[in-house]
Amino acid sequence: MAAVAPARRRKRRSLPIGRILLLGFFLVFVLWPLYWMFNTSIKPSDDYLTVPPVWFPAAPTLVHYEAALFTYRGLDGLINSLIISLSATVLSALIGTLMAYSLARYNTGGRHLSFWVLSQRFLPPIGIVLPVFLIYRGVGLYDTHIGLILAYTVFTLPVSVWMMFAYFRGMPKSMEEAALVDGCTRWEAFWRVAVPLAAPGIVAAAVFAFIACWTEFFFALILTSRTAFTLPTVFRAFIGFQGAQYGEAAALAIVSLVPSIALGVLAQRHLVRGLTLGAVRG
Amino acid sequence: MQPTATIRRLKAAGAPPRLSAFAQWADRHFKWLLVAPAVLLILALSIYPLLFSLVVSFINYDFQVPGHAFVGLKNFERVVFDPVARWSLLLTAWLSGISVAIEFVLGLLVALTMVRSFPGRGVIMSILIVPLFISPVIVGQAWTLLLQRPFGPTNYILTQLLGQEVTIGWMTERPWLYISLIIADVWQWTPFMFVILLAGLTAIPPNLYEAAELDGVNAWQAFWAITLPHLGPMMLLALTFRLLDAIRMFDTIFIMTGGGPGTQTYTASYYLYTVGFTQFHLSQATAGSWLFLIFTALIVTLLVRRLLKVEPV
Repeated sequence: MAAVAPARRRKRRSLPIGRILLLGFFLVFVLWPLYWMFNTSIKPSDDYLTVPPVWFPAAPTLVHYEAALFTYRGLDGLINSLIISLSATVLSALIGTLMAYSLARYNTGGRHLSFWVLSQRFLPPIGIVLPVFLIYRGVGLYDTHIGLILAYTVFTLPVSVWMMFAYFRGMPKSMEEAALVDGCTRWEAFWRVAVPLAAPGIVAAAVFAFIACWTEFFFALILTSRTAFTLPTVFRAFIGFQGAQYGEAAALAIVSLVPSIALGVLAQRHLVRGLTLGAVRG
Repeated sequence: MQPTATIRRLKAAGAPPRLSAFAQWADRHFKWLLVAPAVLLILALSIYPLLFSLVVSFINYDFQVPGHAFVGLKNFERVVFDPVARWSLLLTAWLSGISVAIEFVLGLLVALTMVRSFPGRGVIMSILIVPLFISPVIVGQAWTLLLQRPFGPTNYILTQLLGQEVTIGWMTERPWLYISLIIADVWQWTPFMFVILLAGLTAIPPNLYEAAELDGVNAWQAFWAITLPHLGPMMLLALTFRLLDAIRMFDTIFIMTGGGPGTQTYTASYYLYTVGFTQFHLSQATAGSWLFLIFTALIVTLLVRRLLKVEPV
Protein backbone atom coordinates (compact mmCIF):
# COMPACT_ATOMS: atom_id res chain seq x y z
CA MET A 1 0.00 0.00 0.00
CA ALA A 2 2.80 2.36 0.94
CA ALA A 3 4.40 1.77 -2.45
CA VAL A 4 1.17 2.45 -4.30
CA ALA A 5 0.32 5.72 -2.61
CA PRO A 6 3.16 7.88 -4.05
CA ALA A 7 2.47 6.49 -7.55
CA ARG A 8 -1.16 7.54 -7.19
CA ARG A 9 -0.11 10.98 -6.05
CA ARG A 10 2.10 11.42 -9.08
CA LYS A 11 -0.96 10.71 -11.26
CA ARG A 12 -2.56 13.75 -9.66
CA ARG A 13 -0.83 16.10 -12.10
CA SER A 14 -2.70 19.05 -13.52
CA LEU A 15 -5.18 18.47 -16.31
CA PRO A 16 -4.11 18.73 -19.95
CA ILE A 17 -5.18 21.91 -21.73
CA GLY A 18 -7.89 20.20 -23.82
CA ARG A 19 -9.63 18.90 -20.75
CA ILE A 20 -9.48 22.26 -19.02
CA LEU A 21 -11.09 23.87 -22.08
CA LEU A 22 -13.84 21.27 -22.27
CA LEU A 23 -14.60 21.48 -18.58
CA GLY A 24 -14.47 25.27 -18.65
CA PHE A 25 -16.82 25.43 -21.62
CA PHE A 26 -19.25 23.08 -19.94
CA LEU A 27 -19.15 24.99 -16.65
CA VAL A 28 -19.97 28.23 -18.47
CA PHE A 29 -22.78 26.45 -20.35
CA VAL A 30 -24.30 25.26 -17.05
CA LEU A 31 -23.86 28.50 -15.13
CA TRP A 32 -24.76 31.07 -17.78
CA PRO A 33 -28.56 30.53 -17.89
CA LEU A 34 -28.65 30.51 -14.08
CA TYR A 35 -26.68 33.73 -13.88
CA TRP A 36 -28.81 35.41 -16.53
CA MET A 37 -31.98 34.42 -14.70
CA PHE A 38 -30.64 35.84 -11.45
CA ASN A 39 -29.51 38.97 -13.26
CA THR A 40 -32.96 39.40 -14.83
CA SER A 41 -34.68 38.93 -11.50
CA ILE A 42 -32.92 41.92 -9.90
CA LYS A 43 -32.89 44.16 -12.97
CA PRO A 44 -35.05 47.31 -13.04
CA SER A 45 -37.60 47.13 -15.87
CA ASP A 46 -35.88 50.02 -17.70
CA ASP A 47 -32.80 47.84 -18.23
CA TYR A 48 -34.68 45.06 -20.07
CA LEU A 49 -34.27 46.06 -23.69
CA THR A 50 -31.08 48.09 -23.81
CA VAL A 51 -28.38 47.41 -26.41
CA PRO A 52 -25.87 46.21 -25.34
CA PRO A 53 -27.67 44.22 -22.63
CA VAL A 54 -27.10 45.13 -18.98
CA TRP A 55 -24.75 42.42 -17.68
CA PHE A 56 -25.25 43.51 -14.11
CA PRO A 57 -27.80 46.11 -13.03
CA ALA A 58 -26.43 49.34 -11.57
CA ALA A 59 -29.41 49.60 -9.21
CA PRO A 60 -30.55 46.06 -8.24
CA THR A 61 -34.16 45.83 -7.10
CA LEU A 62 -36.45 43.33 -5.41
CA VAL A 63 -39.71 44.63 -6.90
CA HIS A 64 -40.00 41.63 -9.23
CA TYR A 65 -39.84 39.23 -6.29
CA GLU A 66 -42.66 41.10 -4.61
CA ALA A 67 -44.78 41.09 -7.78
CA ALA A 68 -44.08 37.42 -8.50
CA LEU A 69 -45.01 36.30 -4.99
CA PHE A 70 -48.07 38.49 -4.44
CA THR A 71 -49.48 39.80 -7.74
CA TYR A 72 -48.97 36.50 -9.56
CA ARG A 73 -49.88 34.36 -6.51
CA GLY A 74 -46.42 32.81 -6.41
CA LEU A 75 -46.60 32.62 -2.62
CA ASP A 76 -49.83 30.58 -2.76
CA GLY A 77 -48.15 28.26 -5.26
CA LEU A 78 -45.12 27.98 -3.00
CA ILE A 79 -47.25 27.04 0.02
CA ASN A 80 -49.27 24.53 -2.02
CA SER A 81 -46.08 23.04 -3.40
CA LEU A 82 -44.66 22.66 0.10
CA ILE A 83 -47.82 21.02 1.50
CA ILE A 84 -48.26 18.68 -1.44
CA SER A 85 -44.61 17.72 -1.95
CA LEU A 86 -43.95 17.12 1.76
CA SER A 87 -47.09 15.03 2.27
CA ALA A 88 -46.48 12.96 -0.85
CA THR A 89 -42.83 12.47 0.13
CA VAL A 90 -43.69 11.19 3.62
CA LEU A 91 -46.37 8.86 2.27
CA SER A 92 -44.16 7.60 -0.54
CA ALA A 93 -41.15 6.99 1.72
CA LEU A 94 -43.30 5.19 4.30
CA ILE A 95 -45.27 2.99 1.93
CA GLY A 96 -42.25 2.47 -0.31
CA THR A 97 -40.08 1.33 2.61
CA LEU A 98 -42.74 -1.16 3.74
CA MET A 99 -42.93 -2.69 0.28
CA ALA A 100 -39.19 -2.62 -0.35
CA TYR A 101 -38.53 -4.49 2.90
CA SER A 102 -40.98 -7.20 1.99
CA LEU A 103 -39.47 -7.53 -1.50
CA ALA A 104 -35.89 -7.57 -0.24
CA ARG A 105 -36.25 -9.90 2.76
CA TYR A 106 -39.15 -12.18 1.82
CA ASN A 107 -38.85 -12.03 -1.97
CA THR A 108 -42.58 -11.34 -2.07
CA GLY A 109 -44.16 -11.98 -5.46
CA GLY A 110 -40.81 -12.99 -6.96
CA ARG A 111 -39.43 -10.76 -9.69
CA HIS A 112 -42.88 -10.08 -11.12
CA LEU A 113 -44.03 -7.79 -8.36
CA SER A 114 -40.84 -5.74 -8.29
CA PHE A 115 -40.81 -5.38 -12.08
CA TRP A 116 -44.47 -4.43 -12.01
CA VAL A 117 -43.60 -1.54 -9.69
CA LEU A 118 -40.62 -0.60 -11.84
CA SER A 119 -42.75 -0.55 -14.99
CA GLN A 120 -44.86 2.20 -13.40
CA ARG A 121 -41.81 4.44 -13.61
CA PHE A 122 -41.77 4.15 -17.39
CA LEU A 123 -45.46 4.68 -18.12
CA PRO A 124 -45.95 7.87 -20.11
CA PRO A 125 -47.76 10.28 -17.75
CA ILE A 126 -50.15 11.33 -20.50
CA GLY A 127 -51.62 7.80 -20.49
CA ILE A 128 -52.39 7.99 -16.77
CA VAL A 129 -53.34 11.60 -16.35
CA LEU A 130 -56.25 11.68 -18.82
CA PRO A 131 -58.30 8.99 -17.06
CA VAL A 132 -57.21 10.22 -13.62
CA PHE A 133 -58.56 13.62 -14.58
CA LEU A 134 -61.93 12.10 -15.51
CA ILE A 135 -62.03 9.98 -12.33
CA TYR A 136 -61.02 12.92 -10.10
CA ARG A 137 -63.78 15.08 -11.56
CA GLY A 138 -66.25 12.31 -10.78
CA VAL A 139 -65.20 11.81 -7.15
CA GLY A 140 -64.46 15.43 -6.26
CA LEU A 141 -60.68 15.15 -6.04
CA TYR A 142 -60.03 17.52 -8.95
CA ASP A 143 -58.12 20.64 -7.86
CA THR A 144 -57.69 19.41 -4.27
CA HIS A 145 -54.50 19.00 -2.28
CA ILE A 146 -55.36 15.40 -1.43
CA GLY A 147 -55.88 14.53 -5.08
CA LEU A 148 -52.45 15.74 -6.09
CA ILE A 149 -50.80 14.25 -2.98
CA LEU A 150 -52.18 10.81 -3.90
CA ALA A 151 -51.12 11.20 -7.53
CA TYR A 152 -47.60 12.23 -6.50
CA THR A 153 -47.34 9.39 -3.99
CA VAL A 154 -48.01 6.88 -6.75
CA PHE A 155 -45.77 8.78 -9.14
CA THR A 156 -42.79 8.59 -6.75
CA LEU A 157 -43.42 5.06 -5.42
CA PRO A 158 -41.23 3.27 -8.01
CA VAL A 159 -38.26 5.43 -6.96
CA SER A 160 -38.86 4.92 -3.23
CA VAL A 161 -39.47 1.19 -3.56
CA TRP A 162 -36.48 0.48 -5.79
CA MET A 163 -34.04 2.69 -3.92
CA MET A 164 -35.02 1.09 -0.61
CA PHE A 165 -35.08 -2.37 -2.17
CA ALA A 166 -31.44 -1.95 -3.16
CA TYR A 167 -30.64 -0.50 0.25
CA PHE A 168 -32.16 -3.39 2.22
CA ARG A 169 -30.45 -5.86 -0.11
CA GLY A 170 -27.11 -4.29 0.74
CA MET A 171 -27.78 -4.51 4.51
CA PRO A 172 -26.76 -7.62 6.49
CA LYS A 173 -29.71 -9.69 7.72
CA SER A 174 -28.01 -10.85 10.90
CA MET A 175 -29.45 -8.17 13.22
CA GLU A 176 -33.03 -8.88 12.21
CA GLU A 177 -32.45 -12.63 12.42
CA ALA A 178 -31.08 -12.20 15.93
CA ALA A 179 -34.15 -10.19 16.87
CA LEU A 180 -36.44 -12.90 15.49
CA VAL A 181 -34.57 -15.61 17.39
CA ASP A 182 -34.98 -13.56 20.53
CA GLY A 183 -38.73 -13.65 20.09
CA CYS A 184 -39.49 -10.41 18.28
CA THR A 185 -42.39 -10.51 15.87
CA ARG A 186 -41.57 -9.87 12.23
CA TRP A 187 -43.01 -6.39 12.56
CA GLU A 188 -40.73 -5.62 15.51
CA ALA A 189 -37.71 -6.95 13.61
CA PHE A 190 -38.63 -4.61 10.79
CA TRP A 191 -39.70 -1.51 12.67
CA ARG A 192 -37.28 -1.56 15.59
CA VAL A 193 -34.22 -3.14 13.97
CA ALA A 194 -34.21 -2.73 10.19
CA VAL A 195 -35.78 0.72 9.86
CA PRO A 196 -33.37 2.52 12.23
CA LEU A 197 -30.44 0.88 10.42
CA ALA A 198 -31.86 1.91 7.03
CA ALA A 199 -32.59 5.49 8.10
CA PRO A 200 -29.89 7.09 5.88
CA GLY A 201 -31.28 5.27 2.86
CA ILE A 202 -34.84 6.29 3.69
CA VAL A 203 -33.79 9.92 3.99
CA ALA A 204 -32.01 9.77 0.62
CA ALA A 205 -35.03 8.18 -1.05
CA ALA A 206 -37.27 10.82 0.49
CA VAL A 207 -35.05 13.63 -0.79
CA PHE A 208 -35.33 12.36 -4.37
CA ALA A 209 -39.07 11.85 -4.03
CA PHE A 210 -39.39 15.41 -2.77
CA ILE A 211 -37.37 16.86 -5.65
CA ALA A 212 -39.47 14.88 -8.13
CA CYS A 213 -42.70 16.29 -6.64
CA TRP A 214 -41.34 19.81 -6.29
CA THR A 215 -40.31 20.02 -9.96
CA GLU A 216 -43.31 18.13 -11.42
CA PHE A 217 -45.46 20.08 -13.86
CA PHE A 218 -47.62 17.84 -16.02
CA PHE A 219 -49.88 16.28 -13.35
CA ALA A 220 -50.25 19.62 -11.60
CA LEU A 221 -51.18 21.34 -14.86
CA ILE A 222 -54.03 18.94 -15.53
CA LEU A 223 -55.23 17.95 -12.06
CA THR A 224 -55.31 21.41 -10.46
CA SER A 225 -56.74 24.78 -11.24
CA ARG A 226 -57.31 27.73 -8.91
CA THR A 227 -57.02 26.12 -5.48
CA ALA A 228 -54.31 23.46 -5.32
CA PHE A 229 -52.03 24.82 -8.04
CA THR A 230 -48.31 24.26 -7.42
CA LEU A 231 -45.36 26.54 -8.04
CA PRO A 232 -44.36 25.25 -11.51
CA THR A 233 -47.87 25.88 -12.85
CA VAL A 234 -47.66 29.57 -11.91
CA PHE A 235 -45.22 29.98 -14.81
CA ARG A 236 -48.14 29.68 -17.23
CA ALA A 237 -48.78 33.36 -16.52
CA PHE A 238 -45.50 34.31 -18.19
CA ILE A 239 -45.71 32.33 -21.43
CA GLY A 240 -44.67 34.47 -24.36
CA PHE A 241 -44.02 37.41 -22.00
CA GLN A 242 -46.94 39.35 -23.46
CA GLY A 243 -46.80 41.60 -20.42
CA ALA A 244 -42.98 41.80 -20.48
CA GLN A 245 -42.85 40.12 -17.03
CA TYR A 246 -39.25 39.00 -17.54
CA GLY A 247 -38.24 40.00 -14.03
CA GLU A 248 -41.26 38.36 -12.37
CA ALA A 249 -40.68 35.08 -14.22
CA ALA A 250 -36.98 35.10 -13.31
CA ALA A 251 -37.68 35.99 -9.68
CA LEU A 252 -40.21 33.19 -9.28
CA ALA A 253 -37.79 30.76 -10.92
CA ILE A 254 -35.04 31.70 -8.46
CA VAL A 255 -37.40 31.30 -5.50
CA SER A 256 -38.50 27.89 -6.65
CA LEU A 257 -35.15 26.41 -7.59
CA VAL A 258 -33.33 27.22 -4.36
CA PRO A 259 -34.93 24.48 -2.17
CA SER A 260 -34.58 21.65 -4.65
CA ILE A 261 -31.00 22.52 -5.59
CA ALA A 262 -30.00 22.82 -1.93
CA LEU A 263 -31.49 19.40 -1.13
CA GLY A 264 -30.05 17.83 -4.25
CA VAL A 265 -26.52 19.04 -3.65
CA LEU A 266 -26.72 17.93 0.00
CA ALA A 267 -27.81 14.45 -1.08
CA GLN A 268 -25.37 14.17 -3.98
CA ARG A 269 -23.63 11.16 -2.41
CA HIS A 270 -26.78 9.19 -3.19
CA LEU A 271 -27.35 10.78 -6.60
CA VAL A 272 -26.36 7.79 -8.73
CA ARG A 273 -28.68 5.49 -6.81
CA GLY A 274 -31.45 8.06 -7.05
CA LEU A 275 -31.11 8.47 -10.80
CA THR A 276 -30.93 4.75 -11.54
CA LEU A 277 -33.55 3.63 -8.98
CA GLY A 278 -30.87 1.89 -6.95
CA ALA A 279 -29.64 -0.23 -9.87
CA VAL A 280 -26.16 1.31 -9.68
CA ARG A 281 -24.28 1.89 -6.47
CA GLY A 282 -22.51 5.25 -6.64
CA MET B 1 -26.63 0.25 19.67
CA GLN B 2 -30.36 0.62 19.84
CA PRO B 3 -31.42 -2.77 18.40
CA THR B 4 -29.36 -4.79 20.83
CA ALA B 5 -30.76 -2.68 23.64
CA THR B 6 -34.23 -3.50 22.40
CA ILE B 7 -33.45 -7.18 22.32
CA ARG B 8 -31.97 -7.03 25.80
CA ARG B 9 -35.11 -5.36 27.08
CA LEU B 10 -37.25 -8.03 25.46
CA LYS B 11 -35.07 -10.75 26.93
CA ALA B 12 -35.33 -9.19 30.36
CA ALA B 13 -39.10 -9.39 30.05
CA GLY B 14 -38.73 -13.18 29.92
CA ALA B 15 -40.46 -15.39 27.41
CA PRO B 16 -41.87 -13.74 24.29
CA PRO B 17 -45.28 -12.22 25.10
CA ARG B 18 -48.25 -14.21 23.87
CA LEU B 19 -49.72 -12.66 20.79
CA SER B 20 -53.38 -12.06 20.19
CA ALA B 21 -55.08 -13.95 17.37
CA PHE B 22 -54.95 -10.87 15.19
CA ALA B 23 -51.25 -10.34 15.82
CA GLN B 24 -50.56 -13.97 14.96
CA TRP B 25 -52.51 -13.65 11.75
CA ALA B 26 -50.66 -10.41 10.94
CA ASP B 27 -47.31 -12.03 11.64
CA ARG B 28 -48.11 -14.95 9.35
CA HIS B 29 -49.12 -12.73 6.47
CA PHE B 30 -46.51 -10.11 7.29
CA LYS B 31 -44.87 -9.93 3.86
CA TRP B 32 -48.20 -9.41 2.10
CA LEU B 33 -49.38 -6.78 4.56
CA LEU B 34 -46.22 -4.79 3.90
CA VAL B 35 -46.74 -4.66 0.16
CA ALA B 36 -50.50 -4.08 0.43
CA PRO B 37 -50.56 -0.26 0.76
CA ALA B 38 -48.26 0.29 -2.23
CA VAL B 39 -50.03 -2.28 -4.38
CA LEU B 40 -53.46 -0.91 -3.53
CA LEU B 41 -52.38 2.66 -4.31
CA ILE B 42 -50.89 1.67 -7.65
CA LEU B 43 -54.00 -0.36 -8.47
CA ALA B 44 -56.28 2.54 -7.60
CA LEU B 45 -54.37 5.35 -9.26
CA SER B 46 -52.58 3.68 -12.13
CA ILE B 47 -54.06 0.33 -13.14
CA TYR B 48 -57.71 1.30 -12.67
CA PRO B 49 -57.24 4.57 -14.64
CA LEU B 50 -55.48 2.64 -17.39
CA LEU B 51 -58.36 0.17 -17.68
CA PHE B 52 -60.85 3.01 -17.48
CA SER B 53 -59.05 4.79 -20.32
CA LEU B 54 -59.15 1.59 -22.35
CA VAL B 55 -62.93 1.67 -22.01
CA VAL B 56 -63.04 5.38 -22.82
CA SER B 57 -61.02 4.85 -25.99
CA PHE B 58 -63.73 2.56 -27.41
CA ILE B 59 -66.70 4.81 -26.61
CA ASN B 60 -67.62 8.37 -27.38
CA TYR B 61 -66.30 10.56 -24.54
CA ASP B 62 -66.15 14.02 -25.93
CA PHE B 63 -67.08 17.30 -24.30
CA GLN B 64 -68.31 18.48 -27.70
CA VAL B 65 -70.42 15.42 -28.61
CA PRO B 66 -73.00 14.27 -26.02
CA GLY B 67 -73.56 10.62 -25.05
CA HIS B 68 -71.21 7.69 -24.47
CA ALA B 69 -72.06 5.38 -27.38
CA PHE B 70 -69.75 2.49 -28.31
CA VAL B 71 -67.83 3.52 -31.42
CA GLY B 72 -65.45 0.60 -31.96
CA LEU B 73 -62.09 1.57 -33.38
CA LYS B 74 -63.18 5.00 -34.58
CA ASN B 75 -61.13 6.88 -31.97
CA PHE B 76 -58.02 4.95 -32.94
CA GLU B 77 -58.69 5.62 -36.63
CA ARG B 78 -58.94 9.34 -35.94
CA VAL B 79 -55.50 9.32 -34.36
CA VAL B 80 -53.83 7.06 -36.91
CA PHE B 81 -55.14 9.07 -39.87
CA ASP B 82 -54.40 12.44 -38.30
CA PRO B 83 -51.31 13.85 -40.07
CA VAL B 84 -50.53 15.96 -36.99
CA ALA B 85 -50.38 12.79 -34.87
CA ARG B 86 -47.95 11.13 -37.23
CA TRP B 87 -45.88 14.32 -37.41
CA SER B 88 -45.75 14.58 -33.63
CA LEU B 89 -44.60 10.98 -33.24
CA LEU B 90 -41.88 11.53 -35.83
CA LEU B 91 -40.77 14.73 -34.15
CA THR B 92 -40.71 12.97 -30.76
CA ALA B 93 -38.39 10.33 -32.20
CA TRP B 94 -36.12 12.90 -33.84
CA LEU B 95 -35.93 15.33 -30.94
CA SER B 96 -35.39 12.66 -28.29
CA GLY B 97 -32.90 10.76 -30.46
CA ILE B 98 -30.77 13.81 -31.21
CA SER B 99 -30.95 15.19 -27.66
CA VAL B 100 -30.03 11.88 -26.06
CA ALA B 101 -27.16 11.35 -28.51
CA ILE B 102 -25.68 14.77 -27.77
CA GLU B 103 -26.18 14.30 -24.03
CA PHE B 104 -24.45 10.94 -24.21
CA VAL B 105 -21.36 12.16 -26.07
CA LEU B 106 -21.04 15.35 -24.05
CA GLY B 107 -21.71 13.53 -20.78
CA LEU B 108 -19.09 10.92 -21.58
CA LEU B 109 -16.50 13.56 -22.50
CA VAL B 110 -17.09 15.51 -19.29
CA ALA B 111 -17.07 12.30 -17.25
CA LEU B 112 -13.68 11.37 -18.77
CA THR B 113 -12.22 14.72 -17.68
CA MET B 114 -13.54 14.21 -14.16
CA VAL B 115 -12.33 10.65 -13.46
CA ARG B 116 -9.01 11.57 -11.93
CA SER B 117 -9.09 13.81 -8.91
CA PHE B 118 -7.75 17.34 -9.21
CA PRO B 119 -8.03 20.47 -7.05
CA GLY B 120 -11.59 21.86 -7.13
CA ARG B 121 -13.17 18.64 -8.40
CA GLY B 122 -15.72 18.51 -5.58
CA VAL B 123 -16.96 22.04 -6.20
CA ILE B 124 -17.17 21.51 -9.96
CA MET B 125 -19.07 18.28 -9.36
CA SER B 126 -21.64 20.11 -7.23
CA ILE B 127 -22.11 22.77 -9.91
CA LEU B 128 -22.44 20.32 -12.79
CA ILE B 129 -25.31 18.38 -11.20
CA VAL B 130 -27.43 21.46 -10.46
CA PRO B 131 -29.61 21.24 -13.63
CA LEU B 132 -30.93 17.86 -12.46
CA PHE B 133 -32.77 19.50 -9.57
CA ILE B 134 -34.56 22.20 -11.54
CA SER B 135 -38.08 21.93 -12.85
CA PRO B 136 -38.11 21.57 -16.66
CA VAL B 137 -40.57 24.45 -16.66
CA ILE B 138 -37.90 26.71 -15.20
CA VAL B 139 -35.29 25.37 -17.62
CA GLY B 140 -37.61 26.33 -20.48
CA GLN B 141 -38.15 29.70 -18.87
CA ALA B 142 -34.41 30.30 -18.44
CA TRP B 143 -33.63 29.52 -22.07
CA THR B 144 -36.53 31.64 -23.24
CA LEU B 145 -35.05 34.55 -21.32
CA LEU B 146 -31.72 33.97 -23.06
CA LEU B 147 -32.97 33.31 -26.57
CA GLN B 148 -36.20 35.19 -27.18
CA ARG B 149 -36.06 38.34 -29.23
CA PRO B 150 -35.82 41.20 -28.48
CA PHE B 151 -35.03 40.61 -24.82
CA GLY B 152 -32.55 37.73 -24.91
CA PRO B 153 -28.85 38.58 -25.15
CA THR B 154 -27.91 35.60 -27.33
CA ASN B 155 -28.20 37.31 -30.70
CA TYR B 156 -26.22 40.29 -29.38
CA ILE B 157 -23.44 38.00 -28.12
CA LEU B 158 -23.33 36.12 -31.43
CA THR B 159 -23.21 39.41 -33.34
CA GLN B 160 -20.20 40.50 -31.28
CA LEU B 161 -18.46 37.15 -31.65
CA LEU B 162 -19.05 36.72 -35.38
CA GLY B 163 -18.59 40.34 -36.33
CA GLN B 164 -21.80 40.45 -38.35
CA GLU B 165 -25.44 41.15 -37.52
CA VAL B 166 -27.23 38.02 -36.22
CA THR B 167 -31.03 38.11 -36.08
CA ILE B 168 -32.18 34.58 -35.38
CA GLY B 169 -35.78 33.99 -34.31
CA TRP B 170 -34.92 31.22 -31.86
CA MET B 171 -38.53 30.54 -30.91
CA THR B 172 -40.22 31.16 -34.25
CA GLU B 173 -38.05 30.04 -37.20
CA ARG B 174 -37.22 26.57 -38.38
CA PRO B 175 -34.80 24.98 -37.69
CA TRP B 176 -33.84 27.25 -34.79
CA LEU B 177 -36.84 26.37 -32.63
CA TYR B 178 -35.84 22.71 -32.69
CA ILE B 179 -32.28 23.69 -31.84
CA SER B 180 -33.55 25.78 -28.93
CA LEU B 181 -35.58 22.85 -27.56
CA ILE B 182 -32.61 20.52 -27.94
CA ILE B 183 -30.28 22.99 -26.20
CA ALA B 184 -32.66 23.22 -23.25
CA ASP B 185 -32.89 19.43 -23.02
CA VAL B 186 -29.13 19.00 -23.36
CA TRP B 187 -28.55 21.60 -20.65
CA GLN B 188 -30.81 19.83 -18.22
CA TRP B 189 -29.96 16.19 -18.87
CA THR B 190 -26.28 16.00 -19.87
CA PRO B 191 -25.50 15.88 -16.12
CA PHE B 192 -27.64 12.74 -15.91
CA MET B 193 -25.41 10.94 -18.42
CA PHE B 194 -22.32 12.43 -16.85
CA VAL B 195 -23.15 11.26 -13.33
CA ILE B 196 -23.99 7.68 -14.33
CA LEU B 197 -21.06 7.31 -16.72
CA LEU B 198 -18.68 8.75 -14.14
CA ALA B 199 -19.86 6.15 -11.64
CA GLY B 200 -19.13 3.50 -14.27
CA LEU B 201 -15.70 4.93 -15.07
CA THR B 202 -14.57 5.12 -11.46
CA ALA B 203 -15.56 1.47 -11.00
CA ILE B 204 -13.02 0.33 -13.63
CA PRO B 205 -9.94 -1.01 -11.80
CA PRO B 206 -7.09 1.48 -12.37
CA ASN B 207 -4.47 -1.30 -12.57
CA LEU B 208 -5.89 -2.23 -15.98
CA TYR B 209 -4.73 1.13 -17.29
CA GLU B 210 -1.39 0.83 -15.51
CA ALA B 211 -0.82 -2.55 -17.15
CA ALA B 212 -1.81 -1.13 -20.53
CA GLU B 213 0.57 1.78 -20.06
CA LEU B 214 3.43 -0.64 -19.33
CA ASP B 215 2.56 -2.51 -22.53
CA GLY B 216 2.92 0.72 -24.49
CA VAL B 217 -0.76 1.04 -25.36
CA ASN B 218 -1.74 4.61 -26.21
CA ALA B 219 -4.68 6.43 -24.63
CA TRP B 220 -6.99 5.93 -27.60
CA GLN B 221 -6.37 2.18 -27.73
CA ALA B 222 -6.87 1.93 -23.98
CA PHE B 223 -10.20 3.69 -24.37
CA TRP B 224 -11.38 1.15 -26.97
CA ALA B 225 -9.94 -1.91 -25.29
CA ILE B 226 -10.62 -1.17 -21.61
CA THR B 227 -13.03 1.72 -21.07
CA LEU B 228 -15.73 0.92 -23.62
CA PRO B 229 -16.20 -2.78 -22.79
CA HIS B 230 -16.27 -2.09 -19.05
CA LEU B 231 -18.63 0.82 -19.44
CA GLY B 232 -21.03 -1.00 -21.78
CA PRO B 233 -23.74 -2.01 -19.29
CA MET B 234 -23.67 1.42 -17.69
CA MET B 235 -24.00 3.12 -21.07
CA LEU B 236 -27.00 0.98 -21.93
CA LEU B 237 -28.61 1.79 -18.61
CA ALA B 238 -28.04 5.53 -18.94
CA LEU B 239 -29.30 5.58 -22.53
CA THR B 240 -32.41 3.57 -21.72
CA PHE B 241 -33.43 5.63 -18.72
CA ARG B 242 -32.81 8.88 -20.55
CA LEU B 243 -34.56 7.81 -23.74
CA LEU B 244 -37.67 6.73 -21.87
CA ASP B 245 -37.86 10.15 -20.25
CA ALA B 246 -36.97 12.07 -23.40
CA ILE B 247 -39.87 10.66 -25.39
CA ARG B 248 -42.27 12.27 -22.90
CA MET B 249 -40.91 15.75 -23.68
CA PHE B 250 -43.66 18.21 -22.82
CA ASP B 251 -42.78 20.85 -20.22
CA THR B 252 -40.14 22.79 -22.12
CA ILE B 253 -42.32 22.83 -25.24
CA PHE B 254 -45.29 24.05 -23.25
CA ILE B 255 -43.25 26.98 -21.94
CA MET B 256 -40.94 27.76 -24.88
CA THR B 257 -43.00 27.35 -28.05
CA GLY B 258 -46.50 26.28 -27.00
CA GLY B 259 -46.32 23.68 -29.77
CA GLY B 260 -46.08 26.45 -32.33
CA PRO B 261 -45.75 28.09 -34.67
CA GLY B 262 -48.79 26.13 -35.86
CA THR B 263 -48.14 22.52 -34.96
CA GLN B 264 -44.44 22.59 -35.77
CA THR B 265 -43.22 21.67 -32.31
CA TYR B 266 -45.91 19.15 -31.34
CA THR B 267 -44.42 16.11 -29.66
CA ALA B 268 -46.52 13.02 -28.91
CA SER B 269 -47.29 14.16 -25.37
CA TYR B 270 -48.07 17.68 -26.49
CA TYR B 271 -50.34 16.47 -29.27
CA LEU B 272 -52.31 14.23 -26.91
CA TYR B 273 -52.54 17.06 -24.40
CA THR B 274 -54.03 19.47 -26.94
CA VAL B 275 -56.45 16.89 -28.31
CA GLY B 276 -57.63 16.03 -24.80
CA PHE B 277 -57.49 19.34 -22.97
CA THR B 278 -57.85 22.15 -25.46
CA GLN B 279 -60.11 20.44 -28.02
CA PHE B 280 -61.75 18.16 -25.40
CA HIS B 281 -61.81 15.08 -27.66
CA LEU B 282 -61.10 12.96 -24.60
CA SER B 283 -61.77 9.57 -26.13
CA GLN B 284 -59.54 10.35 -29.11
CA ALA B 285 -56.78 11.42 -26.73
CA THR B 286 -57.07 8.25 -24.63
CA ALA B 287 -56.97 6.11 -27.77
CA GLY B 288 -53.83 7.97 -28.84
CA SER B 289 -52.26 7.62 -25.42
CA TRP B 290 -52.84 3.86 -25.55
CA LEU B 291 -51.02 3.70 -28.87
CA PHE B 292 -48.20 5.75 -27.36
CA LEU B 293 -48.18 3.45 -24.34
CA ILE B 294 -47.72 0.45 -26.61
CA PHE B 295 -44.76 2.14 -28.31
CA THR B 296 -43.21 2.84 -24.93
CA ALA B 297 -43.87 -0.70 -23.70
CA LEU B 298 -42.04 -2.03 -26.74
CA ILE B 299 -38.98 0.06 -25.91
CA VAL B 300 -39.17 -0.98 -22.26
CA THR B 301 -39.35 -4.70 -23.01
CA LEU B 302 -36.61 -4.46 -25.61
CA LEU B 303 -34.19 -2.36 -23.58
CA VAL B 304 -34.97 -2.67 -19.87
CA ARG B 305 -35.25 -6.46 -19.80
CA ARG B 306 -31.95 -6.90 -21.59
CA LEU B 307 -30.40 -4.26 -19.40
CA LEU B 308 -31.37 -5.89 -16.14
CA LYS B 309 -29.99 -9.19 -17.34
CA VAL B 310 -26.63 -7.54 -17.91
CA GLU B 311 -26.69 -5.68 -14.62
CA PRO B 312 -27.61 -8.02 -11.75
CA VAL B 313 -29.42 -6.02 -9.12
